Amino acid sequence: MNEVLHTYNLLIGYKGQPLLPEVNVSLCEGDIVALAGPNGSGKTTLFKTLSASIKPISGEVKLFGKDLRDYQPSERSSLFSLVLTEKPDDLFLKVFDIVAAGRYPQLGLLARLKDEDEQIIYDSLQTVGIGHLTNRNFVSLSDGEKQKVMIAKALVQDTPIIFMDEPAAFLDYPSKIELVNIMHKLSREQHKTILFSSHDLDLLLRHSDQLWVMAPHQPLCQGTPKELVEQGIIDDYFKPIVAKEEFFWMK
Amino acid sequence: MTPTSPDIERRHKAPILLISIGIVAVGLLLFVMNLCFGSVSIPMKEIWAAVFGSDDATYRAIILDYRLPQAITALLAGIGLSISGLLMQTLFRNPLADPSLLGISSGSSLGVALVILLGTATGLSVNTLSLWSTFGVTVAAFVGAFAVLLLILALSSRLRSMVSLVLVGIMIAYIAGSVTDILKFFSQKEGLHSFVIWGMGSFSNVSKAQLPFFAVAVVAGTIGSFLLFKTLNLLLLGERYAENLGVNIRRSSMLIILASGFLTALITAFCGPIAFLGLAVPHIARFLFKSSDHKLLIPATAFIGMDLALFCNLIARLPSFEGNLPINSVTALIGAPIVLWVIFRRQKVLK
Repeated sequence: MNEVLHTYNLLIGYKGQPLLPEVNVSLCEGDIVALAGPNGSGKTTLFKTLSASIKPISGEVKLFGKDLRDYQPSERSSLFSLVLTEKPDDLFLKVFDIVAAGRYPQLGLLARLKDEDEQIIYDSLQTVGIGHLTNRNFVSLSDGEKQKVMIAKALVQDTPIIFMDEPAAFLDYPSKIELVNIMHKLSREQHKTILFSSHDLDLLLRHSDQLWVMAPHQPLCQGTPKELVEQGIIDDYFKPIVAKEEFFWMK
Repeated sequence: MTPTSPDIERRHKAPILLISIGIVAVGLLLFVMNLCFGSVSIPMKEIWAAVFGSDDATYRAIILDYRLPQAITALLAGIGLSISGLLMQTLFRNPLADPSLLGISSGSSLGVALVILLGTATGLSVNTLSLWSTFGVTVAAFVGAFAVLLLILALSSRLRSMVSLVLVGIMIAYIAGSVTDILKFFSQKEGLHSFVIWGMGSFSNVSKAQLPFFAVAVVAGTIGSFLLFKTLNLLLLGERYAENLGVNIRRSSMLIILASGFLTALITAFCGPIAFLGLAVPHIARFLFKSSDHKLLIPATAFIGMDLALFCNLIARLPSFEGNLPINSVTALIGAPIVLWVIFRRQKVLK
């Protein structure tokens, strides 16, 4: 399998204070990779580092064999796209306009949409199943629908890698299933590489090809969910939580 | 090109052309009315004659020397302030942002205060009217505004967040305001009077000789702002999305502040601080076109700003008044109810 991203002795954190030991991980083409870890373990910081939003303390991120920082910002926008927990909140922003923004890097000075660009936008809306929401105001949508709009935007960007920071947060069960279906479709049919973070055990263990487990100041573990369960890493990861809690109904 | 499935909804395009024709038509009508009405009413047919050589020297003088420059100044100021407000609202993602947010107009007030108040205090010049029209006031306002603009630009490269930048702007406004107040406290009556008059704003201070410069500068600022529309649209998604889509946040913020600040500084220098247009007009534009797309919003804001400024200018010199009402009070008086109306209507639309 082709590696699309690889980190070498990567130290992440702020003000020179690393959040965890050196990270050496890789992403392979077409994989769905899940990132697990408690709040404060550095998931978002890792995301920001991998997406060139912040600089690493040391080490490097290689994207298709080239250092992430050696790409122009405009080149990066065609290599990876983002789906974030923060959502646009402008009152008159239309679903179509948000998804079309994903096309901007490919458009000229006047951002004129050609027929083929429009078709790509409609196809992406269709892929995530919100073809009927084209003209809706974004703020009037449900959380699940908003998430799909942001995924459609990422698809229009037409990048080999998609980073999703907690895509399942705020989603109800049916929306979560739909999200999983979309992720599978993208990975299996369009060979997109997806890295997502989540707190949802079901998503982490059953719907990922690879799992990255993070804990504060612990080395990051990479493996298939099966391997990590068998090695007891998942157990270790949840043990402190279970041990610390005092469940009143257990008394 | 047909959709691949029946359940896909094609994009509705707003009736842009119809609304635009309406806005431009209203603008033309208001422009002609600005030439006709005033302390002397001039019949519509005389206007054409006056502009293209008329026998009536009085009408000709009133129109060419007084009303035409004033109307053109009003429409240019309307365009510039409205666009400036739109840029601020988008950059700071705050519906209450307006051109004065970063303290630029306070800077120009301070500049003018220094010239007028210190000037009168030291007994250099006394005559209110001559002071009013002097080039010195404009230059002082310009220098004050640009000093603040440069300060803000210098600081913006050091500050991480937009919120801190707004706070810095507000603090600069406070400092400039209090220095102005101190100057006022120590100044003499005549100086104070002309300073207060300057603070009320006016579209009549741009002389015929200055008008071409003013026009070219406003148009340049407007075109510069329009060229930023892609960045502005991407910023609406949030900074991290914009960054991912190729926007250099720091550089873009500086360009937006430069465009908006340039227009504000320019217009405040020539017309005094004019409140409310920059706040109200972008809301009207978003509401009329039901859109946040700056490719549409920037031209729309420009034309609606033009209409509203011409309307305010007309109200300010209703035939029954001797002389003009302060334009600053008229813009707020007319702008505030419009914003209120838009807010209430918007709630219905978004349900």
